[in-house]
Amino acid sequence: MMENDSPMVKITNIHKVFPQDVHVLCGIDLEVKKGETVAILGASGSGKSTLLRCINFLEEPTAGTVEVDGITIEAGENDKLRNGRIRDIRKRTGMCFQAFNLFPHMTVLENIIEGPVTVLRQKKEAATAYAEQLLQWIGLSEKSDEHPSRLSGGQQQRVAIARSLAMKPKVMLFDEPTSALDPELVGEVVEVMERLAKEGMTIVAVTHELHFARDVADRILIMDNGNWVEQGPPEKIFNNPEQERTRQFLAHIL
Amino acid sequence: MKADTNLSEGSGIPAEARKILTQIETDRAAYKRKLVISFIILAIAMIMVLIALKLDFRFMKNQLPFIFAGMGYTLLVSFMAISLACFLAVVGALGRLSKNPVFNSIASSYVSLIRGTPLLVQVYMWYLALPQIGKALEGYGFTGIQAFFTLPALTAGILALGVCYGAYMTETVRAGIQSIDPGQTEAANALGMTRSQTMKRIIFPQALRVIIPPVSNEFIAMIKDSSLVSLMGVWELSYRAIKMGRRHFQSLEMLITVALIYWMMCILLQYFQEKLETHMARGDRSIR
Repeated sequence: MMENDSPMVKITNIHKVFPQDVHVLCGIDLEVKKGETVAILGASGSGKSTLLRCINFLEEPTAGTVEVDGITIEAGENDKLRNGRIRDIRKRTGMCFQAFNLFPHMTVLENIIEGPVTVLRQKKEAATAYAEQLLQWIGLSEKSDEHPSRLSGGQQQRVAIARSLAMKPKVMLFDEPTSALDPELVGEVVEVMERLAKEGMTIVAVTHELHFARDVADRILIMDNGNWVEQGPPEKIFNNPEQERTRQFLAHIL
Repeated sequence: MKADTNLSEGSGIPAEARKILTQIETDRAAYKRKLVISFIILAIAMIMVLIALKLDFRFMKNQLPFIFAGMGYTLLVSFMAISLACFLAVVGALGRLSKNPVFNSIASSYVSLIRGTPLLVQVYMWYLALPQIGKALEGYGFTGIQAFFTLPALTAGILALGVCYGAYMTETVRAGIQSIDPGQTEAANALGMTRSQTMKRIIFPQALRVIIPPVSNEFIAMIKDSSLVSLMGVWELSYRAIKMGRRHFQSLEMLITVALIYWMMCILLQYFQEKLETHMARGDRSIR
């Protein structure tokens, strides 16, 4: 019970300042409960991707604290074991990128077992067996020996999701997973994300995909200029937003 | 090629379009034919020049086995030096990309110094100047080090060529590594890979495809630069040719002979390079 009460992701007072004093995140707090699905919305350049990348330290926060599954890392602390702790967080977080970033020199199957075999030191047979389950789950079993370039964008993103899931992560981060896709391919990716949410995965997604935000997410957060504008359940955000900025933003994407 | 199949099928392609396609095909074939003819004329012209020079072909033929005996040294020097160069290039590139100030500055100085000095000077440095350094060191109490610093000609040549080409190739390898999309590193990091795992498993295999064509170019250049070891009296191809030419006052014949041998070797290597590149390109299709 204790475990369920403590948040899976807890971000406290995160600041991110890029060179030339570009203040992208201005003291952001975020708590995501275990099994919760959170969608972060906001205009481009509002800092939502940077925030997501701060969770697994692809972006180093300038100030603040990140906690994932009980592992806490302070910004700027100087500790020999810190890199190891960052890797521990990364092993527990899966991440999907807008550009998929599959490894082009490996087949689909090799992409999926790369993390388990290289990072988790799993036996190749065991990793392959699990990868085949995952491929079946995303409906791409027959593509296992293809190279990523032979797949459509939607298929590539599904493989990227499977590659993350192979690490058995505690939380999945999605950085605009459908923005690079042709419109007719968005649905297959969102469908996989939806099933993932239903199976109880903790999800933090930066996305403008309306169906996902409205029907799948438990909570929506709106970001603007590195600050939260408003947050709440989808019904409230979409039907009855409090802030003018939220209304403006929704008018653009609806 | 797709046009061909459509042409024979005649499926819905208007007659005037088909005419243009045929015209393009004919032009292409004519160009190829003319190209082959020009090459043949050039070759004949060259042979005629050689005959007009009244070259002693019998002498050339007789000396051929003697010159060819140097092939072993040429190949040995080239292969050893390119292996050393590849090793240095990878280490150098990692140094140039390193955030460690010591490692980085050493690699950058290495590239700058070697690229900034003539290979000829470097060859003599390894062969003639190094023993003097050894002598100076003995003065500081390192007894017996001079013998270690006095290199046989072959070793000095391999070291000079390898170290020199390693510097140029360092930049090739660095560029190859940097040409890989940063998203690849991010994806590897997001999986929890360490820096060396990312380099070994993700970046380097992809960079290799980019690097191989320029490196095979370097290798072709090195085959020819290996003639510099003749300066130290290694009996390789060019040394033997020059020696024979001088002895019989028939330098022209000997130099032409050895030039042709180098040329043939390079044509052969170029052929393999093209094979390798087509092979790589096939892999590339599966990349992007």
